[in-house]
Amino acid sequence: MDILNAIVVLLNFVIIPATAYGAQLALGALGVTLIYGILRFSNFAHGDTMAFGTMIVILCTWGLQAAGVTLGPLPTALLALPVGIALTALLLMGTDRAVYRFYRRQKAKPVVYVIASLGVMFIMNGIVRFIIGVDDQRFDDGERFLISVRRFRDLTGLEEGLGIRTSQAITVVVALIAMVALFWFLNRTRTGKSMRAFSDNEDLALLSGINPERVVMITWLIVAALATTAGTLYGLDKAFKPFTYFQLLLPIFAAAIVGGLGNPVGAILGGFLIAFSEVGVTYAFRKVVGYLGPEGWEPAGMMQLLSTDYKFAVSFTILLIVLLFRPTGIMKGKTI
Amino acid sequence: MTGVRDIRAVALFAAVAVLYLGTGFVQSWNIALSIFNMGLVSAILALGVNMQWGYAGLFNVGVMGFVALGGLATVLIAVPPVEDAWAAGGLRIVLALVLGAATIIAAILVWSKLAPGRLRALGMVVILIGGFALFRTVFDGGVIAVEAVNPAATGFLGGLGLPVLVAWPVGGVLAAGAAWLIGKTALGLRSDYLAIATLGISEIIIAVLKNEDWLTRGVKNVTGVPRPVPYEVELQQTPWFTDLAARLGADPVSMSSIMVKLSYAGLFMVVLLVLIWFSQKAWNSPWGRMMRAIRDNEVSAAAMGKDVKARHLQVFVLGSAVVGMAGAMMTTLDSQLVPSSYQPLRFTFLVWVMVIVGGSGNNWGAVLGGFLIWWLWIQVEPLGQLLMQSITSGMAEGSWLRAHLLEAAAHMRLMTMGVILLLVLRFSPRGLIPER
Amino acid sequence: MTDNPYQTDRGNKDVSITNPKGVGTITAVPGTDRPMATDTAFLIGDSMTGGYGNGPDILHDCTIAVNPGEIAVIVGPNGAGKSTAMKAVFGMLSLRQGSVRLDGEDITTLSPQARVAKGMGFVPQTGNIFTSMTVEENLEMGAFIRRDDIRKTMEQVFALFPILRDKRRQAAGELSGGQRQQVAVGRALMTKPKLLMLDEPTAGVSPIVMDELFDRIIEVARTGIPILMVEQNARQALEIADRGYVLVQGRNAHTGTGKELLADPQVRRSFLGG
Repeated sequence: MDILNAIVVLLNFVIIPATAYGAQLALGALGVTLIYGILRFSNFAHGDTMAFGTMIVILCTWGLQAAGVTLGPLPTALLALPVGIALTALLLMGTDRAVYRFYRRQKAKPVVYVIASLGVMFIMNGIVRFIIGVDDQRFDDGERFLISVRRFRDLTGLEEGLGIRTSQAITVVVALIAMVALFWFLNRTRTGKSMRAFSDNEDLALLSGINPERVVMITWLIVAALATTAGTLYGLDKAFKPFTYFQLLLPIFAAAIVGGLGNPVGAILGGFLIAFSEVGVTYAFRKVVGYLGPEGWEPAGMMQLLSTDYKFAVSFTILLIVLLFRPTGIMKGKTI
Repeated sequence: MTGVRDIRAVALFAAVAVLYLGTGFVQSWNIALSIFNMGLVSAILALGVNMQWGYAGLFNVGVMGFVALGGLATVLIAVPPVEDAWAAGGLRIVLALVLGAATIIAAILVWSKLAPGRLRALGMVVILIGGFALFRTVFDGGVIAVEAVNPAATGFLGGLGLPVLVAWPVGGVLAAGAAWLIGKTALGLRSDYLAIATLGISEIIIAVLKNEDWLTRGVKNVTGVPRPVPYEVELQQTPWFTDLAARLGADPVSMSSIMVKLSYAGLFMVVLLVLIWFSQKAWNSPWGRMMRAIRDNEVSAAAMGKDVKARHLQVFVLGSAVVGMAGAMMTTLDSQLVPSSYQPLRFTFLVWVMVIVGGSGNNWGAVLGGFLIWWLWIQVEPLGQLLMQSITSGMAEGSWLRAHLLEAAAHMRLMTMGVILLLVLRFSPRGLIPER
Repeated sequence: MTDNPYQTDRGNKDVSITNPKGVGTITAVPGTDRPMATDTAFLIGDSMTGGYGNGPDILHDCTIAVNPGEIAVIVGPNGAGKSTAMKAVFGMLSLRQGSVRLDGEDITTLSPQARVAKGMGFVPQTGNIFTSMTVEENLEMGAFIRRDDIRKTMEQVFALFPILRDKRRQAAGELSGGQRQQVAVGRALMTKPKLLMLDEPTAGVSPIVMDELFDRIIEVARTGIPILMVEQNARQALEIADRGYVLVQGRNAHTGTGKELLADPQVRRSFLGG
């Protein structure tokens, strides 16, 4: 029995990576859930919005690096993030102007917006591939580790090491700031409350003098910030590839639905639930079990429930289980 | 009903025909025919999705998964069995799959037969965990044994070695089975969650095809799937064919390639015509009217005693079967299964563009959309290259931007599809050939 | 199928992609082509004729007026066009004839939200509160168009509906039917309206709660806000009404003070039940 080492292994390979991934999914799901709550449709272009924002951040980072501007131990991308958010906000508002606003005037049913978002998805996907190509891009710089595995071992004298990458720490910190800011905005400010009111009851919001167009614009602005931040953090943590971002749509949708569509707290819970299940189910628990069991009882197999290639299956199964038992998601859905 | 509408439809079909004929005259008949063959398959795909969306309003974003299942059926039916692999661990894998199925059935039985409570939950968890452990123990050994058999050439179980045409209906049945499972679960929930369910399942199906090497050779691909039509080389050695070529004054090599493509086109055409005939019959039957009634007002249809969920499940299964069949035809046409080639943009969302652009709820519209969008999907790339070349012709040779623009021109097809979808949705929201 | 290709119901049931809750339904169709001379009542819907969209006319030459400081009540049998008349006054009906004037100003061409800004408070029959928000937030949202200090008005609302003060941190959707109606009226009062319009405020509440609500409505009227109200419970409504309109098939059948109408044998016979 060696509980300490078991915990360290678990932290290093499951809990820390899953927390970072969960934070990224949660930010993505928050964007999806906001659009669902206020514009009342599931935005299939969300993954590509994240890709677009991240692409701008990457290009800007490269520019800064070429100019010799860095943030020291922190990744330069953080400096480029505001630019990415601003341009993505412009893109989204432009899209709203060119595409969605027409359907609002037509009082179109939500499914029309879904189909329109498919078109937007194609275009954004094309734009990103056109500008930056289809390949992997890495853009993290600065200090790679907050604590490296070796330093941790030297410090504690344990057999197992624990590494915390800078990108993981930044992910959690930035995500936390973003979430707190969002909740403060939605629950404490007049504009935030008017967004919740609009989501709750569009007619009554209109009768209360809330301007729908303004609510929608602010929503896109927030979504741009959330999507760009989520995408940049994911890219720093792993790597940027347009197709991967497109595929993030599934775990992000799953997180938003599991949490209860339209409910921000649910989106965050859903993000972490999906991330922890994905990492947990596809992790080989051999070492952990080895440390926990008596000496020499180390299992022969990998103790891996599913190969990592089946991580989609995990998000999906969780989704199904939650929906079977709580049809509206963990938190009651469809409210902001 | 009205003549104007029919004329418009005929004119649109004629316009698309001009596109294909133009390709034949300007580029080559070989290219035109290969686009046409995939156009036929696309039309069938669009018909299948139109059944679900047009007839019933079911939003299936997992088309790719059903297409892939059709492809899998082709491998399972047409590829000759790998005897050594079967001897090494085939039965073990089959046994494992049976065990897995038994576990799930047992768990469902426990869940439905026992009264709710601790005992039931505990029983189900124990059965699931125990069953999974047992399944993996039997399964893993079999998989390792099978995949070790000559991995460079086989390393999988192969198929049944039956004629490949058998795979088409089987692909439909396979997809229908999967659709039934999905529909039963997702349509049974208190609200519909079909979109996310299909999105998830299709990714899972692709993951299985990519990773279960014993079944599909995974990323090593299954090549050389037997064909329903003769090979070019065989044709070139057949006396009557060389004779015919000589009489027509054509090159036997290129003529053999066209001949093969024409044979495929003939087979596909038969399937498409049969499907259209059935679709039109169904659409105009009392069943079709009921489906539309349900689609347009679920509440009142339910009040009139229609079993909405059962009808939705029925049409979802039917549409998926058509899509699965198209998937099998596609793999037959390529005579290879490449799991990594299944991408949602190409196999799910492009089909959606076909249906929306063609006309949701109109079988002819879906067919038109299939042909038109597929042609554009292929031809926008060379057109984009041309455009980029003309744009960049003024730029300096070897300029960075010029190289980038020329290289990136290939991605213009995605933007084009998006723009077309948005334009049609905005200016002709019912599609090019609207539902009557 | 509707005429508008974007409003077919196909595919809208899938909640994983479409969010049916709280979808906006208000369509602004204000105005007629024929402006008319104005009159003296504080609010008047003058000889209104019109229906929904391009549909048949529901109102026929129907006139509804509210004098300053008075309670006006629209009553009538089911399907008489009571709520429709109120919607017409509020700019949610295509008028083919007639005009609507507030305080002498012609507002026939204004959208509903513009009428709110002009000082008309409207409490719809259903969906009249933000269920997911707290009582206090509901009141805040009611005052959204105001830029001045709203605390005083909120105090007045709390004074009028003391229960709301106790429940102010609670989600409005968790309240009882009567309390919800109080929130709804309170929300409308937060705009400091020059006039309050209530569409069947007592629908679905128990008789005791109904009496209490009527008392509160009288109190609101006493603060000087004229009230236009559609009511199902004709007898009680007419008892508190300064002015009553009995509509039958979209037409003014009887008009008079509440007492007159209650005493009118024809009104009694035809739908007060003797």
